[in-house]
Amino acid sequence: MMKTTYFIALATGFLIAPLFGEELRSPTVGIAGRIEQIVLPGTELIARPIEDDSSPVVLRIDAVFPHGTANRYDLEFYGLEPGKFDLRDYLLRKDGSGTSDLPEIPVEIRGILGPGQKQPNPLPLTALPVLGGYRALLAAAAILWLVGLLALIFIRPKKQQPQDDEGKQKLSLAERLRPIVERAQTGELSKNEQAELERLLIGYWRERLNLEGQSMTDALATLRQHDEAGALLGALEEWLHSPNHGEGIDVSTLLKPYENVRVEP
Amino acid sequence: MSEELSNFGQKVRDRVAEVVVGQDVVVERLLISLLTGGHLLLQGMPGLAKTLLVNCVAKAIDLRFSRVQFTIDLLPSDIVGSEILDQKSGEFRTHQGPIFTNLLLADEINRAAPKVQSALLEAMQERKVTIGNRSYPLPTPFLVIATQNPIEQSGTFELPEAQLDRFMMCNRLDYPTPEQEELVLTRILGLGLKEEDGGSVAKSSFDVIRDEPVAHVDTLNAAMAAVQKVYVSEVFIKHCVEVTNRTRNHKHIELGGSPRTGIALVQAARARAFLHAREYVIPEDLFALAEDVILHRIRLNYEALAEGHSGTDVLKEILASMG
Repeated sequence: MMKTTYFIALATGFLIAPLFGEELRSPTVGIAGRIEQIVLPGTELIARPIEDDSSPVVLRIDAVFPHGTANRYDLEFYGLEPGKFDLRDYLLRKDGSGTSDLPEIPVEIRGILGPGQKQPNPLPLTALPVLGGYRALLAAAAILWLVGLLALIFIRPKKQQPQDDEGKQKLSLAERLRPIVERAQTGELSKNEQAELERLLIGYWRERLNLEGQSMTDALATLRQHDEAGALLGALEEWLHSPNHGEGIDVSTLLKPYENVRVEP
Repeated sequence: MSEELSNFGQKVRDRVAEVVVGQDVVVERLLISLLTGGHLLLQGMPGLAKTLLVNCVAKAIDLRFSRVQFTIDLLPSDIVGSEILDQKSGEFRTHQGPIFTNLLLADEINRAAPKVQSALLEAMQERKVTIGNRSYPLPTPFLVIATQNPIEQSGTFELPEAQLDRFMMCNRLDYPTPEQEELVLTRILGLGLKEEDGGSVAKSSFDVIRDEPVAHVDTLNAAMAAVQKVYVSEVFIKHCVEVTNRTRNHKHIELGGSPRTGIALVQAARARAFLHAREYVIPEDLFALAEDVILHRIRLNYEALAEGHSGTDVLKEILASMG
């Protein structure tokens, strides 16, 4: 029983094998076909290089074996269009000699689409215009970006200093001090001017005693130790900051030495 | 002003000086914060006796003190408290967190997640916390002293400007002088041992803080009331407004001082005048406090940073232009 089954299988195999071989020589579009152990005369062959996209068949030599004076080949191919083709057209000699002595190697690429199929429209390559188009757009964008960057760097709006300060900075300390002292002696100072007077007098003494390199706290401590500056600071604090507003302090006498001050540059 | 009141600051300073060497400025800033109710941020390297100092001040004035080490896994409920289910009664009871104290030391505040920082800063602002559905007022006086380490910034959450603004002052602690450091070492060498549970352990500076206070909350209250009476002249207010305004118009400053800057300057100056036994503030108070009050509130712009300017330099320049 077992023996009978074996013979049936073997016989079926022999019967079907040529059909598969035929199937491999006529694949459908895009499916790889194979021709194995084909003996071709002459020197060794290679697949013709694909030079453009229009070639309907692509051929690859899978393996080459020496076969006497000839060679045996395993070929693999696939078609991009249905039709009958001769693979001889897709072969070249490795040594550059002719292939006219080769036998015909017919294959058929079968189409599976029915007739009357609509083909996609070809996409013709068009030349880019000199003006406009993608390149010009890119160039314009790059220039705009660069201009924007430069504008950000160079034309950035500066923080506006109050006009008042600019004017004051141009005047020297002595020039700023003089009119305020004059007004203080006539008792016409506003609170703002009183605050400025105090700051200016501290600044005057800092300059005079060369304390500009010190912090304000240290400079004030040094000024307090100085006979003249210390007395002035004390009197100013008494006048401007104490709750009794410096009763008994003669502002005119206090500020007399600062009427015509000069600060050495 | 009574003698007890006029000596209040000096007594506390003397008591702190028994344990902490140097750091006179920080002690003064701490007292200013206590007297004005403004919170204090201390920025300095580890090991500068920040905790010891705060502990010492708390004991000197008989205040309750808590310390919370801020870490990344800290939760708001770890500070403010939470509701706990009492299994016996089956009802929720409130567990008040360490924030319910007089002096809270928030150690390394920038190590905690923003939600924790936010919870603390909210409590600092409103002086009350909400647990569950109930709001609880914080004890009075209530003062937060937070610390930050200026190095090791990786894994920290920098306090944003709006939150920094809530600290009345930010003091940058410096290392002690070599003489002060020698004194620290000499004192430590003389501490000796203490016996506990049959064993001995080396005494630390915390063990020598005296328990008996030099002042009580009543004295502090009276001192706070006296600070409120310190006279602030219109001219001084104009100085404060001027310096704040100059931080807003300086070419190197992106973010100038907020209105809180002027408020903090005036209040802190009042307390400083009180501690220096004056009945009115003077420009010296402004200049002495300016760095601690203003510097953490300003932010330099990109150009200034690129040119290598520091906030301290810019502020010094502004203050120098004031006089």
